[in-house]
Amino acid sequence: MSRQPLDFSLNLGIDNSRRKSVFDPWIVLSVFLLSLIGIFMIYSASQSVEMALRQGVYMIFGLAILLLVSFSNFRKMEVFYLYSYWPGLLLLIIVLFFSNENNETNRWIDLGIFTIQPSEIMRFLLPLSAAAFLSRKPLISNFDYLLVFILTMVATFLVLLQPDLGTSLIVLLSGILPILLGGLPWVFIYLGAFTIICSLPLIWFSLYEYQQQRIITLFNPDADIYGTGWNIAQSKIAIGSGGFWGKGYLNGSQSQLNFIPESHSDFIFSVISEEFGLIGVLFLLFLYGLLIYRLILISVMHQNRFAKILSATLSTILLAYISINICMVIGLLPVVGMPLPFVSQGGTALIINLVTIGIILSLRRET
Amino acid sequence: MKGQKFLTDQSILRRVFLFLLPFLILLIFAFLQILNLMVFQAEKFKTQADSNRILKEKVFPPRGLILDTKDKIIVNNFIRQDLVVTPNFIENYSSYLSLLSSLVEIEEDVLEQIFYQKLSEIKPFQSFTLLRDLNDRQLAKVKLNFKDLSGTEINSSFSRNAVYGESSGPVIGYLGFASKQDILFNPNLKNFNDQQVGLLGIEKELDEELRGTVGYRFSEKDARGSVLDVLSTEPSIKGKNVKLSIDIELQDDLYKEFKGRKGALIAIEPETGFIRAMISSPSYNPNFFNNLKTEEIKLLFQNKNSPLFNRAISGQYPPASTLKPFIGLVALEEEVITWQEKILDEGEFFVEGDERPYRGWKEGGHGEVNMEKAIAESSDVYFYNIAYDLTVNSIAPFLKMFGFGESSDLFMNESKGILPDKKWKLGQKGEFWFKGDTINMGIGQGYILATPLQIALAYSALINGGKLISPRIVQSIEGKETEFVSEKIEIKNIKNLEYIKQSLISVVESNTGTAKNIYDPKLRIAGKTGTAQVKSILDDNKYQEIRENVLLRDHALFVGYGPVEDPSILVVAIVENGESGSLVAAPLVKKAINLYQK
Repeated sequence: MSRQPLDFSLNLGIDNSRRKSVFDPWIVLSVFLLSLIGIFMIYSASQSVEMALRQGVYMIFGLAILLLVSFSNFRKMEVFYLYSYWPGLLLLIIVLFFSNENNETNRWIDLGIFTIQPSEIMRFLLPLSAAAFLSRKPLISNFDYLLVFILTMVATFLVLLQPDLGTSLIVLLSGILPILLGGLPWVFIYLGAFTIICSLPLIWFSLYEYQQQRIITLFNPDADIYGTGWNIAQSKIAIGSGGFWGKGYLNGSQSQLNFIPESHSDFIFSVISEEFGLIGVLFLLFLYGLLIYRLILISVMHQNRFAKILSATLSTILLAYISINICMVIGLLPVVGMPLPFVSQGGTALIINLVTIGIILSLRRET
Repeated sequence: MKGQKFLTDQSILRRVFLFLLPFLILLIFAFLQILNLMVFQAEKFKTQADSNRILKEKVFPPRGLILDTKDKIIVNNFIRQDLVVTPNFIENYSSYLSLLSSLVEIEEDVLEQIFYQKLSEIKPFQSFTLLRDLNDRQLAKVKLNFKDLSGTEINSSFSRNAVYGESSGPVIGYLGFASKQDILFNPNLKNFNDQQVGLLGIEKELDEELRGTVGYRFSEKDARGSVLDVLSTEPSIKGKNVKLSIDIELQDDLYKEFKGRKGALIAIEPETGFIRAMISSPSYNPNFFNNLKTEEIKLLFQNKNSPLFNRAISGQYPPASTLKPFIGLVALEEEVITWQEKILDEGEFFVEGDERPYRGWKEGGHGEVNMEKAIAESSDVYFYNIAYDLTVNSIAPFLKMFGFGESSDLFMNESKGILPDKKWKLGQKGEFWFKGDTINMGIGQGYILATPLQIALAYSALINGGKLISPRIVQSIEGKETEFVSEKIEIKNIKNLEYIKQSLISVVESNTGTAKNIYDPKLRIAGKTGTAQVKSILDDNKYQEIRENVLLRDHALFVGYGPVEDPSILVVAIVENGESGSLVAAPLVKKAINLYQK
């Protein structure tokens, strides 16, 4: 019996000659597994078969579009990407007129059988449009950067009006990153950073009271255990009590007894931690790590400017989502509406995330 | 400044990492914190999670009261103590159950059966009621051993109490657990899946109103399940009170008059449709369903006399001679006979081409009879004759207008009876309609069947001037009156109704009337007797044989109303196998009218 020597090498896509036709299976596998984990955890958190099934339908739908988009020719699509900002903006304006009676926030447009979340769509369209705009000609003027910046601020402001602090930060990030990655001179970057730091007090006073409250509790979660700090305290208990091996699927007392708020969406990480322990968390982080690594690789290896900017932007946003969400549930950051990508309940977000991956895969094919 | 060129690969890479870096640092911090929580502080948090017992519990509202028309309470609630368990907080099921078994003195396998059955139906961390209505002794023992019974709670809940017991059974019905199908068809029941809901009678018909709305309580509990602090509550809303048209004292007295005989009685106001008494005997005590001794309830279901069956609305009987006034009325309306026209009754009626005679109940017959006499003495031959002339094609549609063969929608479990016609017979029996069928129908025998309620409604229409009323048993819900609905029956000549009423008076007041035994000049009653054959008698000498078997004896019927001058109440009584309408059923009706008049 002959044995092959152990082969740990992954196909990193370094080999330029093979790059053309390679369809990155690692990216597809990781997003597939993450979405699948999401469905099972949503069931555990909500105990609602219906909710889990609905997410499953979104997942299948999203994967189908992912495959479809990944086979498209991104060069031909660039024209559409370029102008895609405008329909996104229109949706953001429309949603403000959809008032929800029992909820003061207008985040969703109800289309009867399903609802769409324009802010999620915008944070997808904005980097696409910006990357296409900033790579449409060889020479990019500072005026171009300024235009992208203004349009980004408009979109961010509209999301803030809803109000949705978490997503508005992501929208801001997804507009700013293409500018920065596209080659904005450093002097402007320093200038911008300085302005933000100086205007922090101004931002504080423009926040809603509940948003301020969340930031205050961050620094002292134990002060008011049944008030705002309650969520964070309970989430920490859930994560900590999961221990190394976890309590087992459907067996987390914190999640099953509804101690964790929004356990199927923003706080789903707590449920995973409680029921699958450190092992589960490591596996989850491994999947995310794999995904981000492969995305950055595309950005680095690609010759096309549009592909470079887009891929780098999207992988950064993904990392931002993950790190902010996790920091939020373990009490390192204030609670803002920020779901865990691919895993948290939410149809629009899941489909958007999967389509984004599809677009990046299409970049890879066309090198 | 002019536009810039592309950044080099190197510089874009540098920028990517620069902007990734803050989030990477954030993630590293997060990971360190996770390690801290899950590894170094795991024990502390495990303890905290275990002591976390803030539970959202349902608070069930008390069901609405059921009152009678004089505001006497028919059904109220009392508080009982239930033992509720949360299986996730029990360490060892079998040792728990054996300890509990010794404390409450219920056999362990009985407890196990309930426990595992309910365990399979709940989701993780939910609780369920293991034992209902603990007595003082059980309660004391459980409370003394509370520290060994983690996952146990004592919850008080409401139980139904039918103040008048057995006599009110057929009206109010009983409670029980909603089946899975019930919950599927009525999502409103979902909140009450561990609670008793109305399964029969008024409790079922008005369950939605009586039930109320579930509230919630968030409370902090210690590891043994006792409440440390109630954090917040969302109060439940009490069920609506329902006022019935029933006079419960009347109902109770009349039920006792049945002395356990099988039968039914309905007392209804012909002008308003209010039912003042609705009796089905034998009955059952609704309180019986409060305890969970399933064996006894099973016996109740298996009882040959079917106490759970509401004979007043679901019992289908041949209307027998009580149908004659309607046959008479249709004959007058169709002008096949006049009021005074006489027919010779010699005890037998022959149809051409049929050897066998149709016999009247009285040997030798009643001689020459007009309609008044024919009704008063209940001549069969007279009605054989006019039914034969009328044919089923004119009888059936006429009876339909009086509500025969139709449900009145008073209760869901009401029977429709049978109003046969040619089409019905062909469809149901696969046979053509014979003349003989019409002749039998003329005296209310044969295929025709009616419920006591239908007979009551048809007679009400006779005496209220031709209005088919919708019966009402609910007078008001939380003070809101129910609506009176009636349908006008087309009567060609209103005088015909007067003739029929006059005949009904003769039944009691003529000295040959079949119910002359109940005549009382102080309270004049009119009505009609009936004797429903359970088994058709072909041969005279078999009659005595048949009488030997109690269950094959004739049913006794009487429909009466009073006072004759201005009828305020109409009563239908049927005594199964009671044989004589005048001797058995009529006195019951007389008693009912007397009691009502008081």
